[in-house]
Amino acid sequence: MTKYTIETKQLTKIYKDQKAVNNVNIHVKKGRIYGLLGRNGAGKTTIMKMILGLTSTSSGEVDVFGKNIKGREKQVYPRIGAIIETPGFYPNLTGTENLNIFAKLRGTSAPNAVKNALEIVGLPYKDKKLFGEYSLGMKQRLGIANAILHDPELLILDEPTNGLDPIGIAEVRDFIKKLSVERGKTILISSHILTEISLLADDIGIIDNGILLEENSMEELKRKNGKYILLQVSDAAKASLILERQFGLKSYSVKDDHTLQIYNNSLDMASVNKALILGDVSVISSQLCNDTLEDYFRKITGGDGIA
Amino acid sequence: MEWIYILLMALASSLMVIIYLVTKLYKVSEQLSIIEDSLVDIKKGNWNRRVLVNENDITKTICYSINDIAMKSQTQLIQLKQSEQAYKRLMTSLSHDVRTPLTSLVGYLEAVQKKFVTGKEKEEYLEIALNKAHHLKGFVEVLFDWVKLDAKEQVFKLEEQDINEFTRDILVNWIPTFEEEHFEYKIDISDKECFIRLDPNAYIRIVNNLIQNVIAHSEGTRIDLQISENEQNVMVQVSDNGKGISPNDLPHIFDRLYQSDESRSTNGNGLGLAIARELVHLHKGTIHAQNSLYGGTAFIVKLPKVL
Repeated sequence: MTKYTIETKQLTKIYKDQKAVNNVNIHVKKGRIYGLLGRNGAGKTTIMKMILGLTSTSSGEVDVFGKNIKGREKQVYPRIGAIIETPGFYPNLTGTENLNIFAKLRGTSAPNAVKNALEIVGLPYKDKKLFGEYSLGMKQRLGIANAILHDPELLILDEPTNGLDPIGIAEVRDFIKKLSVERGKTILISSHILTEISLLADDIGIIDNGILLEENSMEELKRKNGKYILLQVSDAAKASLILERQFGLKSYSVKDDHTLQIYNNSLDMASVNKALILGDVSVISSQLCNDTLEDYFRKITGGDGIA
Repeated sequence: MEWIYILLMALASSLMVIIYLVTKLYKVSEQLSIIEDSLVDIKKGNWNRRVLVNENDITKTICYSINDIAMKSQTQLIQLKQSEQAYKRLMTSLSHDVRTPLTSLVGYLEAVQKKFVTGKEKEEYLEIALNKAHHLKGFVEVLFDWVKLDAKEQVFKLEEQDINEFTRDILVNWIPTFEEEHFEYKIDISDKECFIRLDPNAYIRIVNNLIQNVIAHSEGTRIDLQISENEQNVMVQVSDNGKGISPNDLPHIFDRLYQSDESRSTNGNGLGLAIARELVHLHKGTIHAQNSLYGGTAFIVKLPKVL
């Protein structure tokens, strides 16, 4: 079993003289949610399209399920579910009828596939409403229902919460999370909204102007960007006593005999250091982590931020 | 000449039958090779693999069964993995929750033993150390309760109780604490009798844990306790006027050992609400929390009148 469900190698897309996607190497791990974060026009959709073979690659390779996708499209596509931009449905048919067509075209993995898919996204089965009369949110939901209709191993969702109201966004987020946590699906999702990705993704890739600026696990990013002070000292017991007595500190935790994590950032580190040294505790290092994820993204995208 | 005609007809129709059968056979063998591929993949551990079939394929029932088996195994596997992860989280979290007070306890005692402090200050240090030790003891007790609950070892005895009267009895014991902690309190419980079946000890724990949580974490100045009933349920509500719970944390507060970073390592141990939920569930009830529009949080326990 390969570790990565999707791996791109030096993936590049050139439109005329502009590099829309520039040597991108993304690594989508099996069973995890990978969030592709970037502003509109950063190249997210183009990457997804190239993975799906909806647009040609200028150079570079795409491996899906551990092998190069070229020439294996017919075997691989039934194992992927995707929504890219607005899905093409017949406006004069109902949602159920539309899905029935796709079920027939692709085949199904279980009886009542259409009904189940609609249930997951919260749309009524055999409703009389025509697709043309759907609201944007309902259209989006039907798109997702279509993507999960054949119970695929891999989902590629391009801005799945576009056009949804806040409650709808939370609902969609919940069931995407569920698909990953409870059913072990691998999911590649794109968004231009930081909070969206940070609530959902296990791994994150930040893309700006076609270049992948950073790829990391959410856990690591959150660890790097929490609001706390990490203090390494010779004696944690003594240090905790000094902090409690002299600074009235309550919110901290002891990581091991030499490391304290302090959750109160307003502490004046200079006087803390001094007090510790006077108290015969040597300070090996003190590290102030004060960035929010947002600050961090602003930094790596060169000041403009994401959304 | 007629028999030639008939012969030709027979020949043509048998040819058609043969062609039909050959195509059918070809299709089935193609499907079988897909099934084989999928089974190889599933055997390697990819339980997410599905075989897609059309409505009138001969292999339909077989494929659906394969998918069903794969899906069920996948679910079991994921559940196992989840409980394993939860256990690991519990362990890391525990080591922090025990380590922090223990380290600081050692700090105080060392200061006393090495005679850094004398006289009145020494007494004070010893008192703080003792308090911390009591706190730790309490934590360990709660922890064992939780482990017992989790392993479903505790026996529950349901008996008819007037929940209104019973709750009032519990609350009487809390009044000194409310006054000590400077909480205004309002109790809104009807004088009418309202009998429901509950386990007295478990119910006391539920109420105590909810109140304890308000006192330890809400940062409010006011606590309201209210019992109301409708035809099916009795609702016990504990609300405060504190800082509320961030919407990001709200879905997780009943998960064992969930604590938002700020509240970590101050008071409490993140088990109280998890235990409350577990106990409520044993009464076939529900518990949820919501932020009030006017600030503060309300915890609502709903218990069915007929069990």
